[in-house]
Amino acid sequence: MNASETTYNDTGLETDLAGVRLCTPVLTASGTCGYGPEYADVLDYRRLGGFTTKSVTLRERPGNEPQRIVEVHAGILNAIGLANVGLRRFIDEKIPFIREMPTRVFVNVAGHSGEDYVEGAAELDKHDCIVGIELNVSCPNVSDGLMFGTDAKLLRQLVEAVRAVIKRGKLIVKLSPNVTDITETARAAVDGGAQILSLINTYAGLSIDTETWKPLLANVTGGLSGPAIRPLALYNIHRVYREVARDADIPIIGMGGIQNARHAVEFLLAGASAIAIGTALFVDPATPIKIADGLSAYLQQHGLRHVSELTGGLKLSG
Amino acid sequence: MTTAESKPTRVCGRVARVAANTAICREHRAIEFTTADFPNSEPGQFVQLQCCDASEPSPRVVEWPAGGFPSLASGNNWDGRSAFLRRPFSIGDQWRDANGLTHIVIISRTVGPGTAWLERLTPGEALNATGPLGHGFRIPSDDLPLVLVGGGVGIPPLVYLARRLDELKRRDATAIFGATTRDLLPIRLLSEPATDGKPLPCAELAGSARFPAVITTDDGSLGMRGVVTDALRKWHADRGNQSRVDGVVFACGPEGMLKAVSQMTRELGLSCQLCIERKMGCGLGTCLSCVVRVRDESKAEGRRWALTCSDGPVFDREELID
Repeated sequence: MNASETTYNDTGLETDLAGVRLCTPVLTASGTCGYGPEYADVLDYRRLGGFTTKSVTLRERPGNEPQRIVEVHAGILNAIGLANVGLRRFIDEKIPFIREMPTRVFVNVAGHSGEDYVEGAAELDKHDCIVGIELNVSCPNVSDGLMFGTDAKLLRQLVEAVRAVIKRGKLIVKLSPNVTDITETARAAVDGGAQILSLINTYAGLSIDTETWKPLLANVTGGLSGPAIRPLALYNIHRVYREVARDADIPIIGMGGIQNARHAVEFLLAGASAIAIGTALFVDPATPIKIADGLSAYLQQHGLRHVSELTGGLKLSG
Repeated sequence: MTTAESKPTRVCGRVARVAANTAICREHRAIEFTTADFPNSEPGQFVQLQCCDASEPSPRVVEWPAGGFPSLASGNNWDGRSAFLRRPFSIGDQWRDANGLTHIVIISRTVGPGTAWLERLTPGEALNATGPLGHGFRIPSDDLPLVLVGGGVGIPPLVYLARRLDELKRRDATAIFGATTRDLLPIRLLSEPATDGKPLPCAELAGSARFPAVITTDDGSLGMRGVVTDALRKWHADRGNQSRVDGVVFACGPEGMLKAVSQMTRELGLSCQLCIERKMGCGLGTCLSCVVRVRDESKAEGRRWALTCSDGPVFDREELID
């Protein structure tokens, strides 16, 4: 982190996320922004609150067969299959760039077993350019990707084990919406030692070619993202905030179909302390900057001094 | 870090104005748009166009296709629009006018909600463009004969390549353009093409390029009856019975055509660059969806996934695995 290059301003957007200071509450979501170099010329990292990398697994993964993405109504269905360079190449090839990025960088870690997560997190935590580890326990596109994300007991054990080896960075747990009751997994993550919750990951979905009667994705099913899931994401954040995070004093990074500042305000009002932009980056990588500017304008228009005044501000009658 | 001061090689979300939107044959339209400060491109590169109303208060409802599903397009800021992601288009031509304005031409065939939206654009309307993206054709510096082989909607990048070759004062270039039938050839004709496959300056290329062209149609309704590889074989034979004809073939078109061109150029000893098409998400190398298998001896399996958007869309024949 090169703090001197970061633009701190008087727009009331600086955000404290479990002790990590961000210049705005707007982050990028894992899997939609690569490892950093991909958007360097089109997204001003100095004005980005935080950057979350593509998932990293211990070993390199080539990913699924194509077709890996299909557009559906108001969103996309993807089954990339956690394609990534693997931990060793990530450290050798990607960290040098990340070290120079003038924003806070979180690394998303995925695994097949508890040991995978622990080893990956422990190794990455040694690099002080990484301010936090986001556990991906909610990928619907690999055979065992959802195992930890849907079983509260397993999730708690996993989070405890990872938390025990993280000495420096913050631990984020990214929750899956593909559960009966997201407050159970949220509570398990918090009890296990999560310092930040991020939600939601994609919804499992399917799209069928009505001419061939075959699935449009080679993986058959995929994860739904984009504006289609926004109200669903808000509902989950609302519940996790009110039933788990608020009392535990655990900040939420809210995500799911956010495209503009008004959407961002909704997520903050529902209980998020920060928000992340994912699928919208595919259409416009500068979306986070536009949203930060929009949030600033919103604060002014509404006579608010600081963006944190919005968090959990949803008014309920009675 | 890339600094804001260095000259950008690509721009995202640039608002352009439609200058013309005209039918070029039965199914294809040529859409020309203008914008200031658009980076220079290489033939083979592409633009990503947002095919929905981004900011207008009452977006037009797009209905498509006949017999298909009606779009529920409504709302604002591309909420609920059926064309959510940008759509990639090869740059069919690009030039800067006397006022410094960049003109870009793309050829579109209406196949879904995005292209249906494009079809209805009228001059003066806004169009949001990202680009230029990917890697274009690599033009050899030595004076080899060049053949531009295009099929159907794959013809545009080769038309643009003709402009570049003309600017480079290359003389020995021949275009071979094919379509299934006469009114599906997405290019304007200056004169009737030869039916015997003789290259004539019959096709309107870009800029002041006047390279000879062979036109093929499957049914013989225009030009030579047959497919582009028939014309390519004839081109090779017409070069005389030399034991060896060096040359570079640039090809873009349907998958089947590219495979046939790839195989024939290997047989004939010509090198070959292929401009391929894949469904894309971002076009910027992050969504990892437009993968294509390429040879990579450094991998245990001898191959890996490459990204069409950023490693391509132009690949050398030998890189690609069929």
